[in-house]
Amino acid sequence: MIQLHNVSLAYQQDASALNNVNLSIGKGEFVFLTGSSGAGKTSLLRLLYGALTPNRGEVLIDGQNISHLSASQIPLLRRTIGVVFQDFKLLQNRTVFENVAITLEVLGWGRADIGKKTMHILKQMGIESKYNLSPQRLSGGEQQRVALARALVNDPKILLADEPTGNLDDANKNQILTIFKEANIRGTTVVVATHDRRLIEQSHKRLITLFKGEIVEQVEKQTASDDQTF
Amino acid sequence: MNKWKSKQPVTIKPFRRPSLAGDGYGGRALFFLSRAITNIRQNVFVNVVTIGTITLALLIVSLFLLIFVNLENAAENWSERVQVTVYFDRELTPQDQTSFRGKISALSGVSRVSYVSRDEALKRFKSRLRGQETLLEGVRPEVLPTSLEITLKRTHRDTVTVESFVTTLKRIPGITEVQYGEEWVRRFNSFLNFMRLVGALLGGFLIIAVIFIVSNTIKLTIYSRRDELEVMSLVGATRFFIKAPFLLEGLIQGLAGAMISTLLLFGFFEGFLQNAGSFITFNPTTSGLSFLPGEYIAGILLAGAVLGFIGSLTSLKRFISV
Repeated sequence: MIQLHNVSLAYQQDASALNNVNLSIGKGEFVFLTGSSGAGKTSLLRLLYGALTPNRGEVLIDGQNISHLSASQIPLLRRTIGVVFQDFKLLQNRTVFENVAITLEVLGWGRADIGKKTMHILKQMGIESKYNLSPQRLSGGEQQRVALARALVNDPKILLADEPTGNLDDANKNQILTIFKEANIRGTTVVVATHDRRLIEQSHKRLITLFKGEIVEQVEKQTASDDQTF
Repeated sequence: MNKWKSKQPVTIKPFRRPSLAGDGYGGRALFFLSRAITNIRQNVFVNVVTIGTITLALLIVSLFLLIFVNLENAAENWSERVQVTVYFDRELTPQDQTSFRGKISALSGVSRVSYVSRDEALKRFKSRLRGQETLLEGVRPEVLPTSLEITLKRTHRDTVTVESFVTTLKRIPGITEVQYGEEWVRRFNSFLNFMRLVGALLGGFLIIAVIFIVSNTIKLTIYSRRDELEVMSLVGATRFFIKAPFLLEGLIQGLAGAMISTLLLFGFFEGFLQNAGSFITFNPTTSGLSFLPGEYIAGILLAGAVLGFIGSLTSLKRFISV
């Protein structure tokens, strides 16, 4: 599903964010990316949703080389990818419902179908009663669930998450992790960048460790039986 | 498109728009319009600031236009005084009058020819010396010349044209003495040209300032909503999809600003200017100013719409990097 071949990325001439990265993530996999700040986790994710283009090497998503997409092709790529961030990136002047519906509006859905599908995903996230509130009035965990609803409402092939639990307490972390796993079970490839050791350890998934822009360690999924618990 | 297709069945085909209710170009246009109106309602403060700025900016420009148009009208009135007079030392017979009139009217640029007989000339002389009629005691009409007064068309009142007209006039047999107040015509025309130059310069500066202020205000309001642009781009909106509501919003803001400024100008005009304008025209018969003609108002509305649209377009270009 996701393949990186000899990918290098530098923001400026001297400082390289990623250095000769080779990586392959299969369809339906659940992967954690970890490493200290500045290791290149965010840069790697940004490459995957077309916000950055590599200086060298190739990035393939579903067999398609996205290293040199034109400006008009990038939106098409992003419709197949859901992205969530540590700071949620919700629009404060719109309601929870509107924040989630944006994804379907962009796809050109009709009003009635947007209503049904949006309420359905809000129910899955357990926040359907808050649909008419501004995100400002929700807790951090609820806001992240709104962001996840927005990312997952069109059943994307890939879900990318950049420090999704950075602002959350343990109870909320577990809820968010559960949502990731459920999306993964439905067939979405999930890539989570985090330096939250506890989150990684309790989920027993494939782990990729980055250090100074290079992959220094890869640990395969520890026990297959873990997946059955969800 | 197909190269993106996943081999596994996916519930929603990612980038082909499903043909559901409200689809088609009409549905799209309606969606963008309702999105723009919702945006205005959700960002009231920002919109009030933008519309207010456009209103004030266009009010200044239209006030300037109002003054300029009225000065032009006044100049039009003054230029009626550009008159060429042919003097004769004898009373013209009706046949002579007709023949001269015919010859003169045949020249280009002539709008009116009128004959001033000796009696008429004396009458005018007397009315000019009102209160001192005694000075004219013993003056008989015979000492005054008769004349043909020629009024020129508006387009033929500038110095060069008047001079060449007089030269042609003098070629008509029987016409020897021609007066046309050379100095006055020259001064009047150079004043007019000066006024137009100053007007164009001031107007030009004003318009540049207005474009600058309005485009920067719009830039700031769009900057304040850059998270919206970012989120739209993240969920896979095309540039057009992101821009269209903002452009419509700009168009609505510009039109609203232009309408409000025209209404304010009209109120201001009705309240203060209309009856206070005789000092500009110096002409008691055309007391008062006139409001902007219809095509100017249409121009201001159009300018508002264009200002809002282009302002949004150029600002969006800066913030949408995909």
